[in-house]
Amino acid sequence: MTSSATNSTSLLPVSMELHHEISQFYYLESRTLQERRYSDWLEQFVAEDIHYWMPVYELRLTRDKRPEPTPDDAAIFNDDYGELKQRVDRMNTGQVWMEDPPSRIRYMISNIEVYQSDKADEFKVYCNLAVYRHRRQLEITQHLLGREDILRKTDSGLRIARRKLNIDARVTQDKNLYFFA
Amino acid sequence: MNRIDVKELIDLENATQSKTVFWDQTIYEQELENIFGRCWLFLTHESLIPEFGDFVTSKMAEDQVIVARQQDNSIKAFINSCTHRGNQVCHADSGNARSFTCNYHGWVFGTDGSLVNVPLEERCYHGNLDKSEHGLPQVRVEIFRGFVFGCFDDDAPSLEDYLGDFAWYLDTFMVGAGGGAELLGPPLKSILDCNWKVPVENFIGDAYHVGWTHAAALNVIGGELAGLAGNQADMPYDDLGLQFTTRHGHGFGVIHNAGTAIHKERAGYDKFMAETTPAVIENLGEERGQLYNGHWNTSIFPNTSMLYGTNTFKTWHPLGPHKIEVWTWTLVHKNMDDDTKRSIQREAIRSFGTAGTLESDDGENMMTCTHSNRGHIARKGRMNSSMGLQYEGPHPNYPGIVGSSFIGETSYRGFYRFWAEIMAADNWDDIRKNDQHWDDIWPHKNFWADRGAA
Repeated sequence: MTSSATNSTSLLPVSMELHHEISQFYYLESRTLQERRYSDWLEQFVAEDIHYWMPVYELRLTRDKRPEPTPDDAAIFNDDYGELKQRVDRMNTGQVWMEDPPSRIRYMISNIEVYQSDKADEFKVYCNLAVYRHRRQLEITQHLLGREDILRKTDSGLRIARRKLNIDARVTQDKNLYFFA
Repeated sequence: MNRIDVKELIDLENATQSKTVFWDQTIYEQELENIFGRCWLFLTHESLIPEFGDFVTSKMAEDQVIVARQQDNSIKAFINSCTHRGNQVCHADSGNARSFTCNYHGWVFGTDGSLVNVPLEERCYHGNLDKSEHGLPQVRVEIFRGFVFGCFDDDAPSLEDYLGDFAWYLDTFMVGAGGGAELLGPPLKSILDCNWKVPVENFIGDAYHVGWTHAAALNVIGGELAGLAGNQADMPYDDLGLQFTTRHGHGFGVIHNAGTAIHKERAGYDKFMAETTPAVIENLGEERGQLYNGHWNTSIFPNTSMLYGTNTFKTWHPLGPHKIEVWTWTLVHKNMDDDTKRSIQREAIRSFGTAGTLESDDGENMMTCTHSNRGHIARKGRMNSSMGLQYEGPHPNYPGIVGSSFIGETSYRGFYRFWAEIMAADNWDDIRKNDQHWDDIWPHKNFWADRGAA
């Protein structure tokens, strides 16, 4: 599950101000999702050329040298903006019965690392994410993910241009992963 | 041997089932023995292990198995548990191996499951260990059109006979225009807290839930099936599709001309279908030419399901009576170009993967259909699958029993008919005795003839 970008020595650090700005961007993004304002999330946080990707990682032996999954392989999410919008539109129909009464989702973000990318207005950001979902009376599920983003600075603020979600569980311990992370 | 009263559980005449079939541990244990111990269970597709030494680990109910391609190109499957002290031998999902070495004491098994090396064998076993007696237990393996199945029962019919008339239907796309079908992996895996039969019955014949459970998704996807959303449209249901069930409980429902309807991006898929349909009609006839372009909700008894058209392919591995592991592959036509296959994989997982726009509607229903039976009084009740009862019978053009509307419960009834039969049977000889009479529960032998005459 390593990528060449994990070798952070080749990546340039950024200012404390920018690190702070990006941290705040993530916290606000999480709160927007926690409050189920999915259309706001799309409009205020997501770039229109986003690739939103959660690959499937098989359990393979260390000696197995087959390549890492690409967007051409099986993936739990492999969405462009229009496809994310379709997921949001579904949530907004008022006909998603399993979300009525709504579940509660909370996000914990940590290990935020920010690096300058090759492009002046884009930053490579790593963080860890814990997602807790409480549903109905007794259901509690939790998901641990590593997140690799490309964030872009635009006239209207930061936008997520790439998001790769590395979910640690091979077998999802939940009925679905229909949430944004 | 039979600890439960199957007749009490399943009322074939009135099409009801005791709710305990989703709950009781005793019933589950008998299912492991009578159903999962006797039936052909899906393991993998041969295209996923093409080369010598390629393997996947799979499951047969709660038994772990290794499925490996042999030097002679055949496929073997064996129990993934060391014959020394029972440790799991292989922990990878897939790979290529010349041998499997147990982590515990280092016993080494070949790609065929035979025991080939035991550390300190000469010095500490003093020549008293017969390695030939300690291979990993073999599973019977047979392949239908590239789909690899395993069976624990030497007395079971061949895979082809087990599929029986259902093979005629599967050939619609497993032969198709000649290229057949294959699966794209690796499988997505998730846990669902439900009895294994809930998703099987949902996939085998439940077009009824589509309009309501999936109203939100159908509304945003649009296309041919949007009219089902919310059950609003006034449609001639009898003309839109059919339901089918066959000898060993396999079944499906088809919505005509809706094969690719759930896919939003489908230009390549539609083109392939249009180009290959004439060859399917030529190979297999008009009926299967029409089925080829339909959308199928399908289950192969006991625990493998698929949506042909949407092209998700699933096995529901039981983990006790109240929990399953869901494995999801993508079904594609083998002769499609790679771009079209990839597009179908993306779309199939978007709709019925772990975060699928439609899959996410189903999980909670399947879960609470199971867990409501925690209630002592609730599980004394019965479930109903009588929709379309009597609007069904043998058909002049299709094998098995055919129901008149895709929204019906013909294939539910067929599933529980065979479930009851195999749960009550002592062995496959008992089951074979019913081969000529299995469809007696459908009394309207002239249903389709009368309908045609009317």
